[in-house]
Amino acid sequence: MSGIGPMYPNEKPENPYVLVSYAGHLLGNYSSRLCAGCGYGIIGHIFTRLFEDEKLDPKLYPLVLGIGCYSQMLLTVHYATQKVLSLHGRAPALATGMKMANPQMKPIIFTGDGDCLGIGGNHFIHTCRRNLDCIILIFNNSIYAMTGGQGAPTTLFGAKSTTTPYKMFENRSDGVKLALAAGATYVARTTVAHPRTFMKYFRKALKHKGTSVIELITPCVTYFGRKNLNNLGAEYLGLKGEKMDTAGKMIDWIKRNSIRVNQAKFMNEEELFNKYIIGEFRYAPDQPEYSDEYAKIQKIARGGI
Amino acid sequence: MRFMPEGKYLMMGNIAMSEGALAAGLNFFGGYPITPSTEVIEHLAARLPQVGGVCMQMEDELASINAVIGASLVGAKAMTATSGPGIALMTETISMAANLEIPFVFCDVQRNGPGTGYVTEPHHNDIGLMRFAGNGEFQVITLAPMSCQELYDLTIVAFNFAETYRCPVFIMSDAYLGHLHEVVKIPSKEKVEKMVIKREIPEDIIGKFSYKDESTGKYIIPKPPIMGTDYCPPMFLSQPHSLEGMPTPKPQIFTEMMIKKITSNIDKIALTDTYKLDDAEIIIIAYGLPVRASYRAVDLARKEGIKVGILRLITIWPFPDEKVKETVKDAKVVIVPELNYTGVIAEQVERVTNLNTPVIRIPNVCEIHHPHDILKVIKEVDK
Ligand SMILES: Cc1ncc(C[n+]2csc(CCOP(=O)(O)OP(=O)(O)O)c2C)c(N)n1
Ligand code: SF4
Ligand SMILES: [Mg+2]
Repeated sequence: MSGIGPMYPNEKPENPYVLVSYAGHLLGNYSSRLCAGCGYGIIGHIFTRLFEDEKLDPKLYPLVLGIGCYSQMLLTVHYATQKVLSLHGRAPALATGMKMANPQMKPIIFTGDGDCLGIGGNHFIHTCRRNLDCIILIFNNSIYAMTGGQGAPTTLFGAKSTTTPYKMFENRSDGVKLALAAGATYVARTTVAHPRTFMKYFRKALKHKGTSVIELITPCVTYFGRKNLNNLGAEYLGLKGEKMDTAGKMIDWIKRNSIRVNQAKFMNEEELFNKYIIGEFRYAPDQPEYSDEYAKIQKIARGGI
Repeated sequence: MRFMPEGKYLMMGNIAMSEGALAAGLNFFGGYPITPSTEVIEHLAARLPQVGGVCMQMEDELASINAVIGASLVGAKAMTATSGPGIALMTETISMAANLEIPFVFCDVQRNGPGTGYVTEPHHNDIGLMRFAGNGEFQVITLAPMSCQELYDLTIVAFNFAETYRCPVFIMSDAYLGHLHEVVKIPSKEKVEKMVIKREIPEDIIGKFSYKDESTGKYIIPKPPIMGTDYCPPMFLSQPHSLEGMPTPKPQIFTEMMIKKITSNIDKIALTDTYKLDDAEIIIIAYGLPVRASYRAVDLARKEGIKVGILRLITIWPFPDEKVKETVKDAKVVIVPELNYTGVIAEQVERVTNLNTPVIRIPNVCEIHHPHDILKVIKEVDK
């Protein structure tokens, strides 16, 4: 992440959604603190675009952010959103309090692979278990980027990071499998290389009453790409590796390393090793939702049935 | 119904505290069971849904306190209750809430420590933790009730302090007090409603969220903003904020603000009480349960002609420096009976008196003081 963030005073914002971003609204131009080539720019942009197009009411869709590089999306998301930057890993717990104190709300949670599946794993599991009406977006860049590129619970086998200087050898945690096991009712995974799919999933999550978990595979060029080769995850194919030091190379690799869920059905475990399976995994719109169920409890407590 | 009918009830301390919170307008409780505070969540699990509120048993204390902060952010009056190991886990979020100036109330039903300790015994060993809960420099308010009645009354005061000063407010209870059964007088609904400060959106400053008084340019504590309304800043960041409420790279002003909002209002926050102090040469400074044994000890000593009195600290943090200094300036000796070994408050008294007056500790751990323990010391120093 760079210092104050680049600004482009002389360039005309070529994109109509730039001016509704927080920084764009304030400064009349685009500003971001993310590295060139970071996938978070795409995500922030899509969020802003949907927020504007769907005319979401900021009072009903508060944004709760965990701690990671994506916290800097504060500047790039829609200016009207009411945002709270929570603590590392605790965003789902904070959102639970918000939702339950004001059940009309539907919190949207920005969290990272380290944030959600590492330090905040317990809150994530229990939010899914309750089927609390909220949207959890997990940004999986396979690394702890904000702190300088340490290994994450999601880091792929064999990948290099500052805390796995030789190679990552631990088993990887899978956000989608965890969400499914914990009981989230809408679970999907896609990548920033498939922005239209993400928009589709996100729209669906907005209409879904219950916990929606969307994991997004996103590139961290600075800390993951520069250290790793683009044959990662497919070394056995005998591909010659090349450093993924540009956004293009990383997006390319992400596309190659992602397998559609219906394709994955015909592949064995070995073939799927270190791959990302993308697609929709569960959509169960009629499951009981926590705040609805609690309202029933309130009725019983007041002497109703 | 939110308010219990006016009258006298035999109540357990933890329940009196819960009822006080309901009377103060509590509508969200997030907690995790831990002895000796568990009766609070059990009671509120039944009571809160009756009044349209929410009581959630969270997955751990980290989640409890974060849910409480989330609820408070959207306008609920929120609290949690726990004991030593729980507050230890919660410190990170307490610090964040202090930074964001989100009001919440925290009941610490203290038990013996360190570690798991002896879980059913009273031990005032979290006092330091309450004062310094979390990273960073900020001030908290801690109230020390000594009876079930006060657990009810002071909880209402605690909620009002939280709304006014927007800082973490602790109610210091303990295993003994929390489980004590006593008669509690519940006042009428009208009387309680008059006392309670409501969470409301100020009419005149909708949309203008600022810590600055426009006319004087000085720091004020505005009403807490509410997410999901127009009275909300563009973002809540637990980073230093300026007088305008925006992130600032100059934390100096912010830190000063955080400290001064409490210290400059100390006369309103630091509640004390006195007993037979007028001609006293020996002064007992006490808080919480040991105050009760001290009353009896003073009465017995007075019968024997010993001039002894009590300064009772109802608020222990912020420490009422001036009041203590003023009270003990002519004293021969100060006695501080405490339910801990170190004498955390005794240390404060020594600091305030510059060690000019001898301070005698009566430490006691996991066992409440007997009046005769205190009387014995009074007699010894009177020789
Ligand atoms: C309690 C706590 N521990 C550690 C940190 C330091 N920290 C900040 S961000 C971060 C990693 C974030 O990783 P991830 O969620 O994957 O986000 P990314 O930076 O990759 O976008 C860590 C360890 C912290 N802020 N708080
Ligand atoms: S995730 Fe990586 S590329 Fe993106 S801002 Fe952080 S360090 Fe830079
Ligand atoms: Mg990450």
